[in-house]
Amino acid sequence: MVSRVLGWIDQRFPLTPFIKHELTDYPTPRNLSYWWNFGFLAGFVLVLQLATGIFLAMYYKPDVNLAFDSVQHIMRDINYGWLLRYIHSTGASAFFVVIYVHMARTLYYASYHKPRELMWWTGQVLMLLIMATAFMGYLLPWGQMSYWGAQVITNLFGVTPFFGDQIVLWLRGDFSVGDATLTRFFALHYLFPFLIFGVVGIHLVALHTVKSSNPSGISLADKDNIPFHPYFTIKDLFGLGIYLIIFCTFVFFVPGTFIEAANNIPANPLVTPAHIEPEWYFLPFYAILRSIPDMLGGVVAMALSVLIFAILPFADRTSIPGGAHYRPVYRAVFYVFIADVFLLGYVGSQPPTGYLVPTGQVATFIYFATFFLLPFISRWEERWMRTRGLPSELIALFEKRPPREKYQHKGVK
Amino acid sequence: MKRWSIFALCWLACSSAWSETETALNKVEVGTDLPTLERGAETVMTVCVGCHSLKYIRFRELAKLGIAKDKVDTWRGSNPMGTAIASQMPTDAAVASFGKAPPDLSLIAKAREGEANYIYSYLLGYYTTPEGTTGNHYFPTTKMPDILAVAGVTDPAQHAQLEQKAREVTSFLAWAADPHAQERKALGYYVIGYLLIFTTMLYFLKGKIWARLDKA
Repeated sequence: MVSRVLGWIDQRFPLTPFIKHELTDYPTPRNLSYWWNFGFLAGFVLVLQLATGIFLAMYYKPDVNLAFDSVQHIMRDINYGWLLRYIHSTGASAFFVVIYVHMARTLYYASYHKPRELMWWTGQVLMLLIMATAFMGYLLPWGQMSYWGAQVITNLFGVTPFFGDQIVLWLRGDFSVGDATLTRFFALHYLFPFLIFGVVGIHLVALHTVKSSNPSGISLADKDNIPFHPYFTIKDLFGLGIYLIIFCTFVFFVPGTFIEAANNIPANPLVTPAHIEPEWYFLPFYAILRSIPDMLGGVVAMALSVLIFAILPFADRTSIPGGAHYRPVYRAVFYVFIADVFLLGYVGSQPPTGYLVPTGQVATFIYFATFFLLPFISRWEERWMRTRGLPSELIALFEKRPPREKYQHKGVK
Repeated sequence: MKRWSIFALCWLACSSAWSETETALNKVEVGTDLPTLERGAETVMTVCVGCHSLKYIRFRELAKLGIAKDKVDTWRGSNPMGTAIASQMPTDAAVASFGKAPPDLSLIAKAREGEANYIYSYLLGYYTTPEGTTGNHYFPTTKMPDILAVAGVTDPAQHAQLEQKAREVTSFLAWAADPHAQERKALGYYVIGYLLIFTTMLYFLKGKIWARLDKA
């Protein structure tokens, strides 16, 4: 019966070949570590956000007079409304944890190199879309931090030369954040996840064209590639189990961790909170914004700090594969960069006073210096490594597969 | 091992950055037992509601919590069970006497840095200034009078009584801010328990599936 139904479908739609090509025969490097689980996890979080978000939207009211009350209605009166809302609000933070780890893994192993530039860039588009979605979603509960966060961030667009005021007006739909802003942010917050879905599709098509990278950075011999299903489906599921244990601990026991106290006060345009602070996932970029004394310069630096990742495929000018796996200098640069991002995050979370101001400026300088020095560091490192002799493990890999062929992929036969 | 410790560090950094405690808040262990909540409700309904509302709590929910029906009936008077708890003081009168409307208390235990600890510390934070008026250590510009009459109490036994009262009020307000907290935690244990078993099984299943590779 099943085979007859499948046969009927296959005559009209390539279902079986598709499953074969993308799952049961899809060649995946055998040596992937658990750091390669985070792409799948990001997809899972996206689906969970979408599912909970659709149900929340059935009860949420995008109106300045009703929004805050409707969230409380969800939290108190709707059956398991608190669960939906806490999954959604914790899920936003979880999404950033997952994609930041996913990005950090790409950086560590320099997986953005040829032929995966488009994976890296579509990933960047995804990150921007997720940031925009999170920012707009944060306005919806209409708490004090929602309101003032949106007020401050939309205000930043005012530095655009010539059209600044018009752009701010266009974003808000009013002279200050108000009902028009809330309604359009709600509409866009509902739209963007579908855009994200589309770009995820592109990201995956690109992935299945170039195949997964792996810790060695060299495409492996056929015998070292194994089918995605069942080996990586089960590995991803196990990773998902670990993820859900951590995620559910937050949702069920400390769901308030990612909700600012001030956001439990309804938005009040007349009372500015003592300390306006963005959500944790924007803190490093916020610290960069504040580190530049000039407002226009700060906004440009902040935008650049997110966009600059795009230059990495060109900035890292080395022919040694595997990123930090084989390259000690690159590894040191990676850890300095990660530590610097954490430092910026800390600076962003504190009021800009005393020694934190120069600390933020130095950290901002290190952040950008990493990108601008990488072309020189990577060239110098390669010369240094070649004079010193490449690691024997790497030479063995090169011998198995000549360097000129190193990016070619062959499916499992 | 090194990788996992880095991962753990990231989580720690993410989770600790928001738990910065306000300086010198008194810690309170919030009660979730019915007698505590009932006594807290008694104080809130007879004292606090004089000026404050609890607009997200209806009388029905107090009865559902387990508070004696006749008590709820006394508090609600002729109002139906589905009425939200309103302040007994009209907003205009409140603004006239205090300069601003007293805040709604439904979410107050979650709406201040320090949450329940803040409410508890604030209620007990009144003192007599040298000028003879009362001040508050935690909210110097507060317009609320020293409702528990804490300032000037020197007798430790009397102070302990007020501490207990403040704890009961805080516990009730914490319930009001998050009425599903108990249900959530109770469900959480099952969810985490289920996930632990499920993930352990997945771990062994993974080992079994990957073992096929080594044979080949």
